[in-house]
Amino acid sequence: MPPEVRRGFVIFAGLVVVAAVIWAARVEHTPPAEFAFQNGTDPSTIDPHRATGQPEGRIIFELFEGLLRMLPEGDPDPETGLQPMTPQPAMAETYDISGDGKTYTFHLRDGIFWTDGTPVTAHDFAWSWMRMLHPATACEYAYLINEVALAEPFNKSIVEVGDRVEVELWDRPGESPGGEASLQHFPRGTMKYGTLRNIVKPDEPKIAKDASEEKREEITQDWRERWIYEVDVVELESDGSFAADSTATLQRYSVSPDIAQSDDGIQQAHWVLVDFQHFGGAQAIDDKTFVVRLNNSVPYFLNLVAWYPSFPVQKNCVETYGSPMWTKTENIVTNGPFKLQFRRLRDRIRAEKNPDYWNAKNVSFKTVDFVSLESQNTALNMYETGQLHWIYQLPTSVMEDLEVRDDYHSAPKLSVYFYKLNNDVPPLDDIRVRQAISMAIDRKQIVQQVTKGGEQPAYSVVPPGIAGYKGAEGLKENVQRAQQLLAEAGFPQGRGFPKISLLYNTSERHRPVAEVLQQQLQNNLNIKVEIKNMEWGSFVETVQQEKYEMARYGWVGDYPDPNTFLDLWVSDNPQSNTNWSNPEYDGLLKSASGELDPAKRMELLRQAETILATELPIIPIYFYTSAEMAKTNIVGFAPSALDLHPLSVLRFRTDDSQPAKD
Amino acid sequence: MRDLFSYLIKRAAWMVLTLWAVYTVSFILMRSVPGNPFGGERNVPPAIERQLMARYNLDAPPLQQYWDYLVGIVTRFDLGWCMGLEDYSVNQVLAEGFPVSATLAIFALVFAIILGVSAGVVSAVFRRSKADVALMFAAVLGIAVPNFVLASLAILLFVFMIQIFPAGGWGTLQQIALPAFCLGLPVAAYIARLTRTGMLEMLTKDHVRTAIAKGLPYRTVIMRHVLPGALLPVVSYLGPAVARVLTGSLVLEKIFAIPGMGSHFINAATQRDYTLAMGMVLTYTVLLFVMNTLVDLAYAIIDPRVKLQ
Repeated sequence: MPPEVRRGFVIFAGLVVVAAVIWAARVEHTPPAEFAFQNGTDPSTIDPHRATGQPEGRIIFELFEGLLRMLPEGDPDPETGLQPMTPQPAMAETYDISGDGKTYTFHLRDGIFWTDGTPVTAHDFAWSWMRMLHPATACEYAYLINEVALAEPFNKSIVEVGDRVEVELWDRPGESPGGEASLQHFPRGTMKYGTLRNIVKPDEPKIAKDASEEKREEITQDWRERWIYEVDVVELESDGSFAADSTATLQRYSVSPDIAQSDDGIQQAHWVLVDFQHFGGAQAIDDKTFVVRLNNSVPYFLNLVAWYPSFPVQKNCVETYGSPMWTKTENIVTNGPFKLQFRRLRDRIRAEKNPDYWNAKNVSFKTVDFVSLESQNTALNMYETGQLHWIYQLPTSVMEDLEVRDDYHSAPKLSVYFYKLNNDVPPLDDIRVRQAISMAIDRKQIVQQVTKGGEQPAYSVVPPGIAGYKGAEGLKENVQRAQQLLAEAGFPQGRGFPKISLLYNTSERHRPVAEVLQQQLQNNLNIKVEIKNMEWGSFVETVQQEKYEMARYGWVGDYPDPNTFLDLWVSDNPQSNTNWSNPEYDGLLKSASGELDPAKRMELLRQAETILATELPIIPIYFYTSAEMAKTNIVGFAPSALDLHPLSVLRFRTDDSQPAKD
Repeated sequence: MRDLFSYLIKRAAWMVLTLWAVYTVSFILMRSVPGNPFGGERNVPPAIERQLMARYNLDAPPLQQYWDYLVGIVTRFDLGWCMGLEDYSVNQVLAEGFPVSATLAIFALVFAIILGVSAGVVSAVFRRSKADVALMFAAVLGIAVPNFVLASLAILLFVFMIQIFPAGGWGTLQQIALPAFCLGLPVAAYIARLTRTGMLEMLTKDHVRTAIAKGLPYRTVIMRHVLPGALLPVVSYLGPAVARVLTGSLVLEKIFAIPGMGSHFINAATQRDYTLAMGMVLTYTVLLFVMNTLVDLAYAIIDPRVKLQ
């Protein structure tokens, strides 16, 4: 290189560096929000029908609003500090429940609007519930409203001959017959309605005996895709109702493109589902009346209606932009107390007060930041320096210093920490062994010396704090009895007891608990436990394939009712993975779900829980408690059992008579 | 000039090859680890899982997936939709995260170069003085101490004891200062040592001794004859330095709550977010490759002894 080039290059490089620094120094200043809090991991979505986690839930609760909303009622419990929360009128002003508890009629209030100015109607709810249940939406919470008439067959795409069905033809925007499927399932293709007359099924495929469950499932699904449906199609009037005197015409449909291509008489369809839209249990009678019909009464149904998966989304918005584009800041249409201002990945979601919200005059905060923060230390630092006003994941190392402060809040949560046992693996299939293990565990030591967050030792699975329910006693710690039981099971002093493995997902929180347990079982029963940890993805898969002996788990209640903790362990629940089954237990839960008298129902559930706490297919360790810090100048902040903190009822103290100490 | 172009073309070809290899290896590795993007505490019903699989083309045979995804990347630069962060496509995640990471890296590097070179020059010029010993001790420390320890100390010092910087977050220059400092310091330490060694070596060279003997002012000798030669090793270190800053930011982004690309890297892997993980791996490959090429290029231009090949 000639020297001039070299010199020129040095100058050029210098200029590039200066330009880079200038580019990097451009600062778009965002003023801090009035209220900012730690919201855990980055929300994976803000679509109410797709979200599952708590961080997502906190955002959706503020951006959207359902028929009802969980709000504080009365004063906090003096003993536990828990703020009672009940489902209270939100989009619905009033509701009626029929005598048999199977029909709910919601009357929407006047003056409720979407952020695009259009009114919220009962039809929005009917459509949203249909979207939530639609199999292609793949809403993980859909099972919660299984009792709504036709919801379950619609969601699981089960049709039987004689059902009223809907058929979605293969003509969504951008689709051609036999071509690629459009991934947007709304707007739907042309809909045909009618009665399913016959299903032509090819021969059922033979499944090898040793095939894995996954393989079985796949073969069955592939086979089902080759079914041909014969439907008596009835035309609709222009207003959407069924024509009274129209004659039905028999049409044939298949969801398999090959079959539809091979036979001119068969039309290709996306779905053949039960006609939930016309005959399902979620119907809009008019703009203001939404009626829900249930197969069986569900005592906690109002809680489900106030839970975010049943919140409405706007049809027009979803159909115009498609999913997930409709959730983008510039597209999204919502109806809650706050509306989305911007969303920055791994940083924050900023929401501002929605001036058109029906109860806007009682919403105090002008802007709110949901800060995506996983590191507990960072969150505490930011809280201490005033960047955050509320944090809920505290570092255990400084717990003792935080506990004594005025801005510290702790209360029992509706969640339980336990070990699943694989009841198929000997000697864990022996009830005496399971009881011995449970009775040999000193849970007090675990909560006082290891977790240190004020957790309560658990001897059963339903956490305290559910109104009207008194949990089962369970088997308390009793090392002598445990040794006896173990001897009866054929392992006196632990002799001959095989080494069992204890699995947990890699985390600083679970390791010490597992270690203490290992030590206690060794000391008390002379049982050798091998601790294994796996990163979450592998952990979940291992447990689901039931290739474990003992595995750590946690469960957070979906609604404040014992059922959410108990129905996990019925024989056919895919969540259970314990291989435990007890017909009496299943029977009790079944009769409880049909029981209308709350007191009797709770008693049935208590009996079921007692079975669980005696047979111990799982070993409960402790009930979680919340541990959070909130600035003392926030009015209305109190822990609640479901860990809900509606931001719309919080405000800063105005008189400043009691300034924050920090 | 001709060898410059043929060099660039050769490097570009290598980059394409490397990317393809990285793509293939990542693809195989990701699908051979247990777990899938939709595994969670709750089991997803099989029918629903099938829907999800179809949405992300995971129901196709692996070879088909491999090909479809590759074609998407090559023809449309489309890395697909994230499987974890459902509302975002991988391209959108990169578009949001890259400027943040780049800003941080630029500040850290510029800071490291300025501090490192000045410290090195001072050390060499005042060789064996107290300043030299102190600076080199600090440099050894800076290389040895991992940056998350450094970050904790810096937070204690500058956030809580002397309250001049915020504890975390992103958006103001103040918020950039501490992480850039922690990210740049180890690099600065390394550069300081390189500069010092280079300076000392140059000071013994004949042409430098001649210049001093001729009576040129010492300052001029240092600036004109010693420093340019002494900086050559520093330039060649910039390649690894960029790599170090990029990977170091994975940790710091978490500590200082910075919305850069680093945090996605880790989360994508643990959540089995195939598309996002792939996007990240490929982006980092391109970044490192391009930066290394630029450094090699600069080196060849500055140092007359080096030939491009």
